[in-house]
Amino acid sequence: MNESKASASDKTGDDKNEALLKLTDVSKTFESTTQQVEALQPINLEVNKGEFVVFFGPSGCGKSTLLNMIAGFEAPTGGRILLEGQPVTKPGPDRLMLFQEHALFPWLNVIDNVLYGLRRQRGFRFKRKARRQRARELLEMMHMSEFEKSAIHELSGGMKQRAALARALAPDPKVLLIDEPFPALDALVRAKLYGELQEILVRTHKTILSVTHDPNEAACLGDRVFVFTGRPGQIKAEIPVTLPRPREISDPELAKFSSAIMAELGEGQKL
Amino acid sequence: MNGSDRKASTFYVLAFYIFLLAVWQSLYSFGAVPEYLFPSPLQVARRLWELGNEGRLWPSIQATLLRMAAGFVAAGLIGLLIGVLMGMSKLVNRCLGSLFLGLQTLPTAAWVPVSLLLFGLQEKGIYFVILMSATPAIAIATSDGIIRIPPIFIRAAKTLGTSKLAMPMTVILPAALPSIVTGLKLGWTLGWHGAVSAELIKSDVGLGFLLSMGRELNDASQVLGIMLVTILVGLLLDRFGFGVVERRIRRRWGLETQE
Repeated sequence: MNESKASASDKTGDDKNEALLKLTDVSKTFESTTQQVEALQPINLEVNKGEFVVFFGPSGCGKSTLLNMIAGFEAPTGGRILLEGQPVTKPGPDRLMLFQEHALFPWLNVIDNVLYGLRRQRGFRFKRKARRQRARELLEMMHMSEFEKSAIHELSGGMKQRAALARALAPDPKVLLIDEPFPALDALVRAKLYGELQEILVRTHKTILSVTHDPNEAACLGDRVFVFTGRPGQIKAEIPVTLPRPREISDPELAKFSSAIMAELGEGQKL
Repeated sequence: MNGSDRKASTFYVLAFYIFLLAVWQSLYSFGAVPEYLFPSPLQVARRLWELGNEGRLWPSIQATLLRMAAGFVAAGLIGLLIGVLMGMSKLVNRCLGSLFLGLQTLPTAAWVPVSLLLFGLQEKGIYFVILMSATPAIAIATSDGIIRIPPIFIRAAKTLGTSKLAMPMTVILPAALPSIVTGLKLGWTLGWHGAVSAELIKSDVGLGFLLSMGRELNDASQVLGIMLVTILVGLLLDRFGFGVVERRIRRRWGLETQE
């Protein structure tokens, strides 16, 4: 990982107190021909470098919309989203999004999928060898080395998610956005991937934002959990999770945090 | 299907065709239809053998295939280009979509008179018929494939930093490939129809020519024989050409599970 190099070369990151990602009064209203729906009331929050921030809430609370706006897929109706002081205008690999479905390209094999984003990366554009080496490192980190030449349809669900994670990490995003981590997997594979995700966090100091409606998952992964309530979406509470890493999803200590998260949701909010 | 199942089913398929031949032969033997109208399998085989020995069968197959190849490459390129434009622009799709759908419903033989008017008895006319028969199907399948690309691929490409310029080659065409191959396969079949229809009227070599020659000579064996050859060539190309490619791609794209 060339994480240390990347942060040293950050031009706008000189100011050490400045948050990596800053949301100011970000709101979203969807307009149809007949009505306006307020999806998200103005949101203010800051994410620091190396943090794992989780948006937790019931479906329809606007947490996914918020993630999409940070990714640049949707424009906020009001407010500003700044990454290292620069406004977010369109999708790009500095705010890479990992989707619910793996979204790997079936016409490429595993390593070519990982190479796909690297090929478009400034430092790697004309360096075939360096790209390949970086892709191999990532696949090794995800325990996918044996499968670098495999076609996507030959992989199991968990392996697909690992490959997708390797592809997402390849361009060294400043923020990794995860739209519901691993929803299609069974509990055992998921528990394993939670462990691996935390390992990555410790090894690469990645900044990660993720969305979930599973309080256990939120407590397991998040340094800070923002609890959203629905219609219109707003942040109801911010809960720091102070447990050391790596955390086990089945840890009873963790259950205390997940019930605290649930408690914030309050009565009348359906999941 | 495992190995022994496959062997068993191959056996049944063979038995089916032997049965068909037997029915054919017995219809002939009972003399239900006059011999000059309805030859026996053996007579057909003999006539084909003669045509082969006279050095007419193989050059004809070759000629038709070569015309097809040339016409099909042109149809493929034009169809793909138009299809991509239709797939990427709603306006183009609304204008050309119904036109091409209409053209696709037109029987391929209907292009023969037009080509006679335009090109007389020139060889060019055959290419024209192939082109007009195959292009609409390819264009429609390509545009359908593009319109139906799962949005997740486009979003993934964007978040990975794909520029607008790089999008068609790196994502849109590969993602639409299964449908494009299906379109090419259909285009080939329709082009094949067109080629043989055009050859009936305006050529001195080719499968269509042998067909119309057989009719002129009142040689039912030749007509039936060439029909069988035409079917066989089409079938082989489908099975071992497009069929194989299509199946492999569909499996790889996760559209079909393994057997």
